[in-house]
Amino acid sequence: MKFKAIYYVNQFFGQIGGEDKAGMKPMFKEEAIGPAMGFNTLIKEEGEVVGTIICGDNYFNENKEESMKFIMDIVKKHNPDVLIAGPAFNAGRYGMACAGVGSEVNEELGIPVVTGMYIENPGLDAVNGTAYVVSVPDSAVGMRDALPKMAKLAIKLAKGEEMGKPEVEGYLPQGKRLTVFSDKRGSKRAVEMLIKRFKNEEFKTEMPMPVFDTVEPADAIKDLSKATIALVTSGGIVPTGNPDRIQSASAQKWGKYNVADIDALTGNAYCTIHGGYDPVYANAVPDRVAPLDLLKKNEKDGVIGKVFDYFYTTTGTGTSVGNAITFGKEIGQELKEAGVDGVIVTST
Amino acid sequence: MSTQIISNNPTVKEEFQNVVFVEGGFLDVLIKVRDLVYTGHELINHPLGASIRIMFSPYRSIMVGDKTTSNNQYFMETIENSIINYKKHMEVRLVDNDNNEDYRYIDKDLLMSAIREHEMIKNLN
Amino acid sequence: MKLELRKIHIKDLAMGNEMSVKNGTLTIDKEAIIEVLKDDVNVKDVKIDIAKPGDKTRIIPVKDVIEPRVKIEGEGNGFPGVSTAVTQAGSGKVNILDGAAVVTIGDIVGFQEGVVDMWGEGAKWTPFSKTYNIVIDISVIDGLDPHTHEATVRMAGLKAAELIGQAGKDVEPDEVKTYEMGSIFEEAEKYPNLPKVAYVEMLISQGLLHDGYIYGVNSQLILPTLLHPNEELDGAVISGNCVAACDKITTYQHQNNSSILDLYEMHGKEINFLGVILTPELTTLAGKFRTCDYTAKLCKSLGAEGVIVSEEGYGNPDSDLLMICKRLEESGIKTVLITDECSGRDGMSQPLADTTKEAIAVISTGNVSHVVKLDKADKVLGNQAAIATLAGGWEGSIDENGVLSCELNAVIGATSEIGYHNLTVELY
Repeated sequence: MKFKAIYYVNQFFGQIGGEDKAGMKPMFKEEAIGPAMGFNTLIKEEGEVVGTIICGDNYFNENKEESMKFIMDIVKKHNPDVLIAGPAFNAGRYGMACAGVGSEVNEELGIPVVTGMYIENPGLDAVNGTAYVVSVPDSAVGMRDALPKMAKLAIKLAKGEEMGKPEVEGYLPQGKRLTVFSDKRGSKRAVEMLIKRFKNEEFKTEMPMPVFDTVEPADAIKDLSKATIALVTSGGIVPTGNPDRIQSASAQKWGKYNVADIDALTGNAYCTIHGGYDPVYANAVPDRVAPLDLLKKNEKDGVIGKVFDYFYTTTGTGTSVGNAITFGKEIGQELKEAGVDGVIVTST
Repeated sequence: MSTQIISNNPTVKEEFQNVVFVEGGFLDVLIKVRDLVYTGHELINHPLGASIRIMFSPYRSIMVGDKTTSNNQYFMETIENSIINYKKHMEVRLVDNDNNEDYRYIDKDLLMSAIREHEMIKNLN
Repeated sequence: MKLELRKIHIKDLAMGNEMSVKNGTLTIDKEAIIEVLKDDVNVKDVKIDIAKPGDKTRIIPVKDVIEPRVKIEGEGNGFPGVSTAVTQAGSGKVNILDGAAVVTIGDIVGFQEGVVDMWGEGAKWTPFSKTYNIVIDISVIDGLDPHTHEATVRMAGLKAAELIGQAGKDVEPDEVKTYEMGSIFEEAEKYPNLPKVAYVEMLISQGLLHDGYIYGVNSQLILPTLLHPNEELDGAVISGNCVAACDKITTYQHQNNSSILDLYEMHGKEINFLGVILTPELTTLAGKFRTCDYTAKLCKSLGAEGVIVSEEGYGNPDSDLLMICKRLEESGIKTVLITDECSGRDGMSQPLADTTKEAIAVISTGNVSHVVKLDKADKVLGNQAAIATLAGGWEGSIDENGVLSCELNAVIGATSEIGYHNLTVELY
C-alpha cells in the first residue's frame, strides 16, 4: 500500500501567479502541482501525492484562522500519512505559512510534517519542534537538491521508522534535548574536554549557550520637558491604502510619515496592515498600537518638549532578525541626525 | 537598614517581624518581589531554591532590602529569570499540597539560614 | 600526602552472626549494628535489610549512601570531625569493601524523594543498583526537631558504614591503588610543562536538608577553601543533602569523587592536578558574589590554567556556576563545567536557569525532567507513600499495572554533576 502525502505550496510555486496573487484564498487540487510533481517522482516506489494545497502568502498571514480551517478540513478528509510544505527557501511569509500549516497539522492531528527552509528564514522559529526542516539555500536554485532530501525524510516518517540524529538524517536540529547513555562517565568527558582545550583541539560542548545580542542603552534624558521624542512602531500602522506597500508579515521595508499637523492617528487616515493580530480595534483607533495622541497631549502639557515631525512604521511579525537590525540602524541614523532625544517604540 | 520578608508562609508570618504577607502561591510571592525590585529595592536572597523539590513547595519566603542604586540590573535579571524558570517547571505539574506542614517548616528554616548569612555579611552595628 | 586505597571486591552479601568478608562475600551481623546505632538515645528503632543487584527491590526515599571502609594504617578512621575524632585525613592505607554500600532511608520530611531500583528499567539510571546495599531504616524518638532528626540519621549511617567496614580489616585486597601528591611546588617542579588544573567542587550549603560538611564544619559557614584531593577520598567531606536526589553528592560519591579520580588519573601525564577547591553555594546574592570572586581568586593564586567546575543542585546554584565560569574565562583560565539541565519533559526548554556566553565548554549529565517508567517492585524498602510524591506531582503517573512514570530528578545519582554517572544529552 503506498503511503499518502499532501503537499502545501504558495501561489507562486502553485503556478497561479506572483506577488499579484499573494492574496489568493487557499484551494486544493487533486494532483501534484509545481515542486509536488518532482517530489511525487522521488517517492513513487512507496508513496504518492494525493493533492496539492495552494494558498497566497499574504492571504495566509492575514487570515490565518480561515486559511487553517480550509486546510485542516482537506487534511482530515484525505488523512495523509505525511504532509509536505515548501521548501520556502528564504521567503519569510512563505516560511511562516509552512510553519503555521505544519505545526497545526502536526499538533492537532499527529501527522508528521516535512518542510525546507533557509537557516535565516523567520518561519524557522515558528516551527518549534513540530516539523522536520531540511536546510536549503536562500533561493529556488536549491530546489533540485532540496526535494530528494525532503523525500527521504518523508518516506521514513510515513513508514513510522525511527528518526535518527539531525546530522545523520539531514534535518535542522529541532531543539529537542534528549537524555541518552554515553560510553564514558561525565567527569571523564570533562577531563578530556579540558585537555582538548589546552591543546587547542576542536571540541563540542554538550550544552550550547544561547547568544543574546545586547545593545548598550543610551544615557538617560536629563530634562524631558525640553526633549524631542519620536514615535516608532513595529505594529504595522500605516496611512490608509498602505501607499508604500509595506508587507503584512516578513517586512522588507519601513515607512515614514509626516505627523506634524495632526493630533492623533485616527481610524479614517490610518489603519493596520499587520498580519499577526486581530485588526478590528487597531483599525478603529490606530493610536491603540502607536499612541500618537498621548504623545501629542504630553507635548501640549509640557511634559515633553516636542513630538518629532515624522512617525516611523513597519511590521514585526515574521520579520527576519537581519532585516530588523537593518531597519533599526537606518531609522536610528535618521533620528540621530534630526536631533531626536528619545524614542518610544511600540510593538505587538 | 530595613529588611522585609516577602512570604506566603503562615508560619513565617507568625514568627517573624517585617513580613509582607502575600495571599497566594509561590508565583505570587515572586511577582510581589519583582514589583519591589523594579522600584529599586535590593534583592537579598535568591528567589529560587537549590533543588527541583523546593520548586514544588507551596511556600516561599524571600528577603528584600532598602532601595539601592547598585546591582539593580542584576537583581532585575535574577527575579525575572526566576519567574520564567518557575513557570517553565510548574506549568506542567501540580504544586505538592500533600506535605504543607513540612514545606512550611523547611521554608522557614531556609529563611532563617538566609537571615543568618545576611547578618554575617552585613555586620550590623 | 600518600593514600593507599585497597579494594576488596564484594560479590555477594548475606546476613549472619559475624562481620566478615570471605571469598568476596560480605556477611553482616544485623544485631551488632543495631546495638551500636541504638547507643544514640535519639534512635528509637533500626531496621536492616539487604538489596542485591537484580532483586526486584525498590529503596525509597534514600537519604544517603556511604561506602564501608576501614583504615588499617595511618591517622584517623571513618569520618574525622563527624563520626570520629578530628584528624588530618588523606594519608595511610584504607581497606575498602568495594561494591558494598550502606544506604540510609527514613524521611525527615514527607516530601523527600530519592529512589534506587535494583532491577529493570530503573536500575539503568542509578549507579547504586550495582552495589550490594545494606539498607538501614532509622526511626527516631518522638518530639525530635527536624535538625536533630537529620543529624541523627546522618550519624547513624556513617557509624554503620564504619562498623561494617571493620569486616575488611584483615582481608587481602584484590586491587590496590596509590594516590600520592606532594605540595603544589613539588609537583610543579616535577611536571613543569604540564598545564595546571584545579577542580572547583560546589556544594549545596543552604540550610536544613541542604547541607554539606568538611571535617564536620557546615559548608555554609566557610569561605571557599583548598583541599588536597586525598582528603576528600579519605572521608573529609560528607553529605547533609536530602533533596535533589538526582544530583546530590552522596557521601559515597564524595569518597569516590569521580572528578577527583579522573583528574588524578591524568596527573603527571597530561595535566598537573593542583587540588580541590570546595565552594559553598549560598543563598544570598551578596554571598554568591563573595564566594564566586573568592573561588576565582583562589584559582588564580594557584596559577591554574584550567579549571573543572562541578555543581550540586539546580536552580539558584546555576547562577554561581556561571559566575565562576565567567570570572575564570575573563582571566584567561580555561573552564569545563559539569552540570545537569532542566529542559522540560520534551527537552525543548532552556537547559539552565541562567546563561553566560563564556560557558563554551559544558558537559551535560542529563535532563532531570526526562521521564522513566519504573516497573512494579516486589519489595519496597522504606516508605510506600513516598512513591506517590516521587511521581513528580502530575496526574496519571501510576498506570493500572503499577508502572510508575517518574522524572529522573527523583532517581538517586542519575544526573550526578560530579560526572559520576554516564548520562549525556544530544540534540535532535
